Amino acid sequence: MVLQTLATLGPSHGYAIATRLEQLSRGSLQLNMGTLYPGLTRLEQRGLIQAKWGVTDNNRRARFYAISRAGRRQLAAEKSDWTRMVAIIDSVLMRDTS
Amino acid sequence: MIRVREWVLRLWGALRRESRDQELQEELRLHMDLAVEHARWDGRSLDSATRTAAIQAGGFVQAVEAIRDQRGLPWLDDAVTDVRYAVRLLRRNPGFTAVAVLALGLGIGVNTAVFTAYKAMVARPLDARNPDEMVNLALSRPLGARQFTFSYPDYEAYRDSSHSFSGLIAVMADRLVVSDPGGRVPHGTRVETAFTFIVSENYFKVLGVNAIRGRTFDSIAIPELVASPSVLIGENYWQRRFSGDPSVLGKTVRLNGAAVTVIGITPRNFVGTGMAAPDFWLPVSLAPLVHADDTWLRDREHQRVRLFGRRAPGVSAEQAQAEMTILADRVRTLHDPRSQSATPATAIVWRGSPTPLPLTAYRGIMPAIVFVMSSAVMVLIVACANVASLQLARARSRLNELQTRASLGATRLRVIRQLLTESALLGLLAGVAALSFTWALLRVAVTLVADALPPGNGTFVADVTPDLAIFAYVFAVSLVAGILFGLAPAVESSRTALGAATRAGTASARSRRIQDVLIAAQVGLSLVFLIVGSLLIRGAVNAIKTDPGYDNKHLVMLEVRLPEASRYTADRKDALVRELRTRLTTLPGVVAITNALAPATARYRTAAVSLDGDASTSSILHFSYVEANYFQTLGIPFVFGRAFASEGGQAEQAVILSESAARELWPGQNPIGRRVRLGVTDQRLTSVDELLQKPAELLANGPAYQVIGVVRDIRGVEFDGSGTKQVYLPMRTGRFEGYPILVRTQSDPAPVIKATDPLLASIDPDVLGNASWLGETFRQSGPFLVSTLSAAVASTVGLFGLLLASMGIYGTVSYVVLHRTREIGIRMALGAKARDVLGLVLGESTRPVVAGLLVGLLLAVGASYLLRGLLYGVRTVDGVSFVGVSLLLLGVALLAAYAPARRAASVDPNVALRHE
Repeated sequence: MVLQTLATLGPSHGYAIATRLEQLSRGSLQLNMGTLYPGLTRLEQRGLIQAKWGVTDNNRRARFYAISRAGRRQLAAEKSDWTRMVAIIDSVLMRDTS
Repeated sequence: MIRVREWVLRLWGALRRESRDQELQEELRLHMDLAVEHARWDGRSLDSATRTAAIQAGGFVQAVEAIRDQRGLPWLDDAVTDVRYAVRLLRRNPGFTAVAVLALGLGIGVNTAVFTAYKAMVARPLDARNPDEMVNLALSRPLGARQFTFSYPDYEAYRDSSHSFSGLIAVMADRLVVSDPGGRVPHGTRVETAFTFIVSENYFKVLGVNAIRGRTFDSIAIPELVASPSVLIGENYWQRRFSGDPSVLGKTVRLNGAAVTVIGITPRNFVGTGMAAPDFWLPVSLAPLVHADDTWLRDREHQRVRLFGRRAPGVSAEQAQAEMTILADRVRTLHDPRSQSATPATAIVWRGSPTPLPLTAYRGIMPAIVFVMSSAVMVLIVACANVASLQLARARSRLNELQTRASLGATRLRVIRQLLTESALLGLLAGVAALSFTWALLRVAVTLVADALPPGNGTFVADVTPDLAIFAYVFAVSLVAGILFGLAPAVESSRTALGAATRAGTASARSRRIQDVLIAAQVGLSLVFLIVGSLLIRGAVNAIKTDPGYDNKHLVMLEVRLPEASRYTADRKDALVRELRTRLTTLPGVVAITNALAPATARYRTAAVSLDGDASTSSILHFSYVEANYFQTLGIPFVFGRAFASEGGQAEQAVILSESAARELWPGQNPIGRRVRLGVTDQRLTSVDELLQKPAELLANGPAYQVIGVVRDIRGVEFDGSGTKQVYLPMRTGRFEGYPILVRTQSDPAPVIKATDPLLASIDPDVLGNASWLGETFRQSGPFLVSTLSAAVASTVGLFGLLLASMGIYGTVSYVVLHRTREIGIRMALGAKARDVLGLVLGESTRPVVAGLLVGLLLAVGASYLLRGLLYGVRTVDGVSFVGVSLLLLGVALLAAYAPARRAASVDPNVALRHE
């Protein structure tokens, strides 16, 4: 989800990612810092995103995260996995209810 | 791939954390600020906005921690913390650390050293390629007699008809006179001798070893070898003697006067089937060149070579043994029917080793070896027990700390990990100490052994680099032991309820009991070794003090080496010895002269002695050939009867017995005039010198001998004291060769010893001789050395154990007292006197000591029974040693407990009640 956010938003800092996810999920996903930043660190360590210090719109120093090429590949792979998963679960659940 | 990258980066992150912490703080602060701003946009007050933001964003500190965990390796960080903490802890308790490290280090070190030495010296394999395929060959004859030397014709028979071996080799050691070699001449020697292995031509091929320069005998046909005589030179000798000059190849040296060409150099420290690297290797086909008397090459009764084989692929040692037994049965029919070699024999084939017989055959030495090795194990056990009890005691005093940790949220795993780290650190230190200790110990041991060997026997080689496999094993064992006890507090702290723990004043009964058992074990084992040590020391003292049965103080032994060149015929040699004897008599202070083996250096020769007319029963007794004046020269008094008829002509068919031999054969009767028959013999090596071949004294299953006299016992060299049972046979006159000359002096033998060398030189410059004082030789005899060594080992182990045990007792009692301060305070407040408290503490701490002493006493009885062969004139259950040492240990234990007990008794109840 973070990767998707970054893919659509382009480079953004931690808070932006959190708000974006909150908005998209209509408030049901509230990432606190203790979850968000370790996640970002892990993605960075795996080379899926790249971090750079930059300046925000209102001139504050912030760390901007951008999706890398490997990240895009991973995102695509995970998306298709998810779709497949959903399709499978869907078909099982639908059959049971019908 | 992605994972690997993550781990690498995490490791990186763990190593450089400080620099990134600041960035992290900044990033999180921004997050918070933005959240607050966001909330304020919704129109809240600053306060409320901050709170909302905080709720939404989560705790700042927690986030930092979580990110740190992800960014670095939390367990690595923890480990670093643990190690730092452990180091601090160890440094804060230098006493505990020193004792634990020393104890474990010594324990591990001694074990590694002893087992490495065992592997390098006792259980060493042959120096060959794939040594596991190599086997030794020996024969076992009826009555347990064993034969490990074979005649050369027998060797050829086995070699040519066996199928179990891909190669069978023969070897014998020799000492040859070297002349005209050029190079550096060793200092101070008149004639230079070289330790030489005479080997069958296939020796190097079968062992699978090549020359480092030049070639071995493999590629050379025997006729070619004989036509152009060649030898190999050992690398050690080459370096020592020729300074590693490569031009030695192709050079001619003279061995016993025969010119031979050096064609190759064997690898450094290559010992082949021996234990020492020889100077030269001579093919057996050239033996006639260096020894005028080469009949042994054709004489089937003349046993001089040892046999080794390489098992053919797929043939087991058992199969080889079965085949050899069948062959042995065939070979014995080729022998003189009266000879020992004609008796039925079973082959013994065992894993290749330089020792002439399987280890099980050395009954006298094995207990000592087992003893030394078990002492080593005991040191380790005592050391482990010591460290364990220290750990336990310390653990109890740390209960509070650990429970505080637990209540602050440390998981049990985390606590265990911390304790493990501490134990591991301790173990590591001990390991380093142990390894350096082992190294030093082995260096010293090898130097001692090499120095103890008489010179001229090649370069003694033993591989004593600490055996890492053994080290790892011992280290692991002790570490596990240490760690297990190191964990005790963790287990205990989790068992005790959290809240109760901080209040608990006394230790749990269970760990107390473990501690008692550990103390008892230490005390018991130390007692065993102290007792055995004192027995052995008393034995050694006895051995020095007791009368050997003859006057060894005024006896000089002169060993003579006659030249082997062909001009020295047997008659000429005999004449030389006679002249030497005559000239010796003229030396001032010389009283008597005889040719015989000295009792202290006698070879192990036994015969089955049976009573004439009753062949069914026989006793195994030692025998030796002596001249008529032997008893007079050595000062052995006669009990009954007379000496052999003096000199001249044929020796009479008579024997003289020692008192105990007579008792054995005819208990309570007068043996004079009775007759005995001597049968099958057994020979065994008892001294290094016998690694150099000397013609075996073989006894035929001969005629009956009449007993003409009984002499007082003299002490032999046997471990079990069987050496006192002697049968003396008259020496065949005119056959002195091979026997040293014993010279009895009026007073101080030193001038006589000094005078022998010039005397020899004046008779014939080629005759070599070595004179020694028998009083000294006696102290170098096998049993004496073994018992002295065992005494040293046992008392060292015992003292070490005593030291450890008393430290253990002191440490444990101290901790116990510390812990019971409150209880003691209550007792005193209720009216207990200082004396009562002292009694209480002492009583409780001596209980395990007494238990340990009792068990130790029992074990000591067993141990001294096993070692009875080494104890000269000491009863197995010796009151002085047993009671004395026990009291000593008890005293030391009380002393160790006294100091902390005093501290407990001087406790002020007011202070004690407020303790903690």
